[in-house]
This record gives sequence, C-alpha cells and structure tokens, in this order.
Amino acid sequence: MTTTALRWRHALAMAAAAGVSMLTMTAAMAVDVTVWAWDTNFNGAAMKEAASRYAPSHPDVNIKVDDSMQQEDIRQKLQTQLLAGDTTGLPDIVLIQDDVAQKYLQSFPGAFVPLSDSIDMSAFAPYKVAAATHDGKSYSLPFDSGVTGLFYRADYLKDAGYEADALKDLTWDKFIQIGKDVKAKTGHNLIALDLNGSGLIRIMMQSAGAWYFNPDGSLNILDNKPLKAALETYAKIWQADIVKPASGWTEFTGAFTSGETAVALNGVWMTGTIKSQPDQAGKWGVAPIPKLEGVEGATGYSNEGGSSWYVLSSGAGKDAAVDFLKSIWATDVDFYQKILIGQGAFSTWLPASAGDAYKASDDFFGGQPVWANFSEWQAKIPSIDYGIYTAEVDSAVVAQLPTITQGGSVDDALKAINDQASQQMQ
Amino acid sequence: MANARLGRTEQITGWTFIAPALVLLGIFMLYPIFWSLWMSFQVGKGMNFSFGGFANIVRLTKDPVFIRALVNTLTFLVVQVPIMILLALLAAVALNDPKLRFRGFFRTAIFLPCVTSLIAYSTLFKSMFATDGIVNKMLMAIWIIQEPIHWLQDPFWAKVLIIIAITWRWTGYNMVFYLAALQNVDRSIYEAARIDGASGWDQFWQITVPMLKPVILFTTIVSTIGTLQLFDEVNNITQGGPSDSTLTLSLYIYNLTFKFMPSFGYSATVSWVIVLLVAVLSFAQFAIARDRSK
Repeated sequence: MTTTALRWRHALAMAAAAGVSMLTMTAAMAVDVTVWAWDTNFNGAAMKEAASRYAPSHPDVNIKVDDSMQQEDIRQKLQTQLLAGDTTGLPDIVLIQDDVAQKYLQSFPGAFVPLSDSIDMSAFAPYKVAAATHDGKSYSLPFDSGVTGLFYRADYLKDAGYEADALKDLTWDKFIQIGKDVKAKTGHNLIALDLNGSGLIRIMMQSAGAWYFNPDGSLNILDNKPLKAALETYAKIWQADIVKPASGWTEFTGAFTSGETAVALNGVWMTGTIKSQPDQAGKWGVAPIPKLEGVEGATGYSNEGGSSWYVLSSGAGKDAAVDFLKSIWATDVDFYQKILIGQGAFSTWLPASAGDAYKASDDFFGGQPVWANFSEWQAKIPSIDYGIYTAEVDSAVVAQLPTITQGGSVDDALKAINDQASQQMQ
Repeated sequence: MANARLGRTEQITGWTFIAPALVLLGIFMLYPIFWSLWMSFQVGKGMNFSFGGFANIVRLTKDPVFIRALVNTLTFLVVQVPIMILLALLAAVALNDPKLRFRGFFRTAIFLPCVTSLIAYSTLFKSMFATDGIVNKMLMAIWIIQEPIHWLQDPFWAKVLIIIAITWRWTGYNMVFYLAALQNVDRSIYEAARIDGASGWDQFWQITVPMLKPVILFTTIVSTIGTLQLFDEVNNITQGGPSDSTLTLSLYIYNLTFKFMPSFGYSATVSWVIVLLVAVLSFAQFAIARDRSK
C-alpha cells in the first residue's frame, strides 16, 4: 500500500468522523415536539398544517403529530401515566376536550404549563379560556369551537311547508311540530338520537347558562330548572315519534348523511361530516338551535364538545411547544382561514374571524354566510363551569334516559340522578 | 448424622434454585395483591390517598351503580353459563359420533369463534345487530318478527345480545374439553346400555354426564370466572348501556379508574368483590360436586 493511498484513507476517515459529529451536534440542538391529537381529518390535519407553517422559520424544531389514537385512548394514557408519575411516554402537546379539562388540571397540579403567562388570553372566546382556567391561570391554547347549530335539510322542510324564515327564533315545541309535519309529509324522521349519550340535554342546559354544578362545585340537580326543562323536552321529542334511534357514532352520523333524517343538532365541527356528501350540496341550511321556553336566561346558542391544546410541563420540548403555539395558533390569521376551509375547524381565536374565509358564503348551505353566522352565535354562548365530575353525572343522566323517554316521571329521574351522582362524587 | 447434613445441604441447594423464581413471584404477584388490598381501604381522588377504614365498603352498599353492575354480572352468569355448558355438551356428543361425516370440519367450525379477536368479533356483532343490520333483516325476511328489534337501544335486548355474543364465542372452547374427555369413555359401556334398552337420551344423562362430571365441574368454574370478569364484549358492543343495563363489574372498575375522576381505592374495593365472588362460587361448585359423588 502506498503512502498516498494511506493518507487519502486517513483524510476520508477524518472527514467521515467530522460529518458524524456534525450530525450528532445538530441532533443534539434540534428539539422534538410531539403532539397527540385524535382525528386525522380534523384536529390532526389542522395541527400538521400549523407545524408546516412553523417549520421554515424554525428548522431546529421538529414537530411530530401523532393522530393515530382515539380520544378515549389519549385520555386513558394521560390519566394512567400522570397517576403513575411516569411521564416518559407522554407528548409535549396534547389535545383535551374542554369538559374534562378541569379534572386533569385539578387532580394533577403542576402537570401542565400555564400558558396565560406567555400568551394573551383576551384574544380568545371567554368561555373557552374559562374552561381551562384554574387558580387564576389559564392552561390551554383554545382550539376549536363547539358553537351549536341546527343543520337542516332545506328540501325536506320545504316539502313540509317550512322556509328558512320559519326557523328563526324557534322554540322546542315548534321544533317538535316541524318534526311531526316533516314525518307526515315526507316520511322522514326528524332527528337521530343515541340513548347512550347526553349530548342534546347538555346542549339545551348550556343554552340557558346552566350546568350540573353550583358555582362552589357542589351538585345542582334537584333545583336545576334548565336541566329539568331539558329532560322534559328530550322526552317529548322521543314521544312525538320523530326520532330514529341510533347506537354509536357511525349509526348516528349515518342517519343524516344518508338522507334518512332531516336535521342534525350539533357543534359546528359537524359541518365537515355533513359536507362529506357532495351530492347533497345546496340542500342544507343552518339555523340557531331552539330555545327552552319558560326558562330564565334561555338562548338559542350553546356549545357541544370543542377542545384545546395543553403543554405538558414534563416534556423536554415544552419551551419550543409554547413558542410554536404562540407564533402560529395565537398570531397567524391566514392559518385559521386555511384550516377553516380545509378542515371546517372553527376558531375561538377572535381575530381569525376578520379573515376572508370567515366572511364567505357557502353554496353547500344554499349560499348562507355560514361562518359569519357561527361567529355571531359563538359570541352569545353563555359561559359555564364544567367542573370536574361531568363524566360521573353524565353517566347518571344517561342511566335515566330510557325511562323518561318511555313516559317515566322526570322528577323521579332527577332524584335518581342526584342520588347516583352524589354517590359517585366522593 | 452425615445423612442429616447431606439432607440439609440438599435442602439449601434446592431453595437456592427456586429462590429467583420466588423473588420474582413475590415482586410481581404477591406484592401487587397485597398492595391492592391495602389500596381498597384508601379514599381520595387521584394520587391523594388517605386511610379510610371501611368507608369504601360502606360506599359499596349505597352505590346504585355498583348494585346494578353486580346484578347484571350475576344475571349473565346464571343465564349464560348453563346454556353454554349444555350447548357445548350436546355439540361434543353429536360430534363424537363416529358415523358422522365431516366431523373435523364441524369441530373446527364450532371451535373457530374462540380464536377470533375479541375486538373484531365485538365490532362485527355490533353492526350485525344494528337496528337495520343483517340479523333484523333476516328475522323479518323469515317472518319471525314484524318490526326490527332494537338490540342496542333496549335494556332487555341489549342483555340478550351480550349473552348471544359470549355464548357464540365460548361454546366451542368448552366443547373441546368435552370432546377430549369423551375419548376416554369406553365405548363398551354404551354398547351394554344399548343392549339393556337405554335410549339415546338416557345414555346422555345416565352415562355421558356422570362420566364427564370432573370436566363439567372444571368448565363451569372456568366459565364462572370468565363471566365474572366480563369486559371486552360489553365495552365494545354496548359500553354498558343503555341505561347501565349491560354494565358489568369489570367495566365499572374501568370507568372508576379511567373515565371518571380517578378513584383508585374504591375501584380496588370493587375488584376485591370480584375476587371474593370467584372464591365463594368456585368453593360452592366444588362442594356441590363432592356431595353428589358420595
């Protein structure tokens, strides 16, 4: 072997070693930020869009979005690992639905980074900020809105003699009457309901500014007039024979996407599902939800679901995570236009509604300015405190649903809910 | 003297050999068992425990959801296990007939359900038994029912559905035990019975069942334990609903730990209820079997 060849090999080896060490150095400087979300088409896609907007100016931050899990799985993993005190498997950013947020904030103090220290919370819808506020600090970057709407098949309603104007200032009695007319004239049931869920009752209750608890966190069932009115209304809807019973999410959404039922009464996030049937374009409309009659504070505006981003204080990438949320989710108006059009993700960051997409009318909904309407309704949602025991009371409510829909006494049901819930809240 | 020392050395060697296994058993089996027993006397949310004495046991007696779950679980046990054991016995006897053709095929077909994935079959059952699912359509096509049955929305039919599901899955499993046991029954006994004029029915009750008694006892205990721990089917098909009508003890433990405000102490107490039930029922079944053999 000649000396030249030896020298060459030596130089090559040096270069290779230098290359490797350069690589490891950048790897050491780069920060990984992992995100857990639960819907590939919705929040996962929105998060990926945000990540791709952040990447060009921050090549050192590597945002990984994992949206392969169901929401239930995420809750379970979060709860188990925080309880076990082992946070190694947890992400830096996690999506949590608003109605369970307080449970995590209160049972795991210190587990989440208070975002109100670094992000201006006054630019977000107040009811969203309230849901994530504990001991004077707010812990979430509010994401999507659950502002509710009454999605209706304009063509079915027209056949039954109702134009769009007839749906303004609806009451639930009028809603039931419409349902009977639609069934008589078109043969379609009005709405699909799942006896395993309390969604509609919660929507009605919140539309009157009430929840299951008093301001001090104690149970408020027996004297809760909005809850009682909601249960009575729910029973009336079933007894009017205008309901298609559904079990599980697929059957539930299938009822209106297949054209079987005439309305869907849900959060704005249902828009994407409704629009997934292009052949129904132009046949749909959206109106505010009906009001509870004779209940103080009743409105036609409510909330269902909706979730927000939380930063875990155990994550190695928490500082990068906060900066990322701040510079995209609390700054970028264009980003919100993009995810509104792409995913139907309706923002709770108030400046977003100044963008063009929020003003556009939608031909799928017969040319209505859908997003502008939702923005207007969102501002009127009564703020409430979801407390920490919503899951427990929900299961007590659901246990009474079959009985009251078959004509059982609502007062007895309230008493049973109260008994069961107070047993569970220990 | 020398022998005693040798014996002692052998004893020490023996213990040394099994010591690693004993240590592992202690850490991974005994410690968790005693820890969960200790937990069942703790009260509090999340990780904030404090000793609560008998508070959890008092809470059990007043908890309507626990009582509902207990009654549901026992209902499944009392209705489903006898049906399944009898079906498995009949299937085993029928498939043990040497004159039957395609025996291997039928045996495989009946055993196949219990190797399917729990989640896969639960999901399939859920869609088959939907209001506009294939089962309702078939029953209506052959005029057994006029209107579709709301399998998943009606508290009674939801229970029936769970019973159908677990029977479908576990009958073949029990049948295999009976088939194996039947291989050991001497054919000449049946021959003698036939000569004496015993009918097929008599042979089944007077020969097969008594001969298989130890195996029947075994399968009954195993099935009892399985049903008391029933979780996957109810979680995936009905989620305990409607109106908690299919809520089982295991699903309730899951809810208490992962769905509700975490209440580890109380869910440990409910777990120990299952342990006690399994112990008492197994004991009772042994006792009954022993009495009859006298």
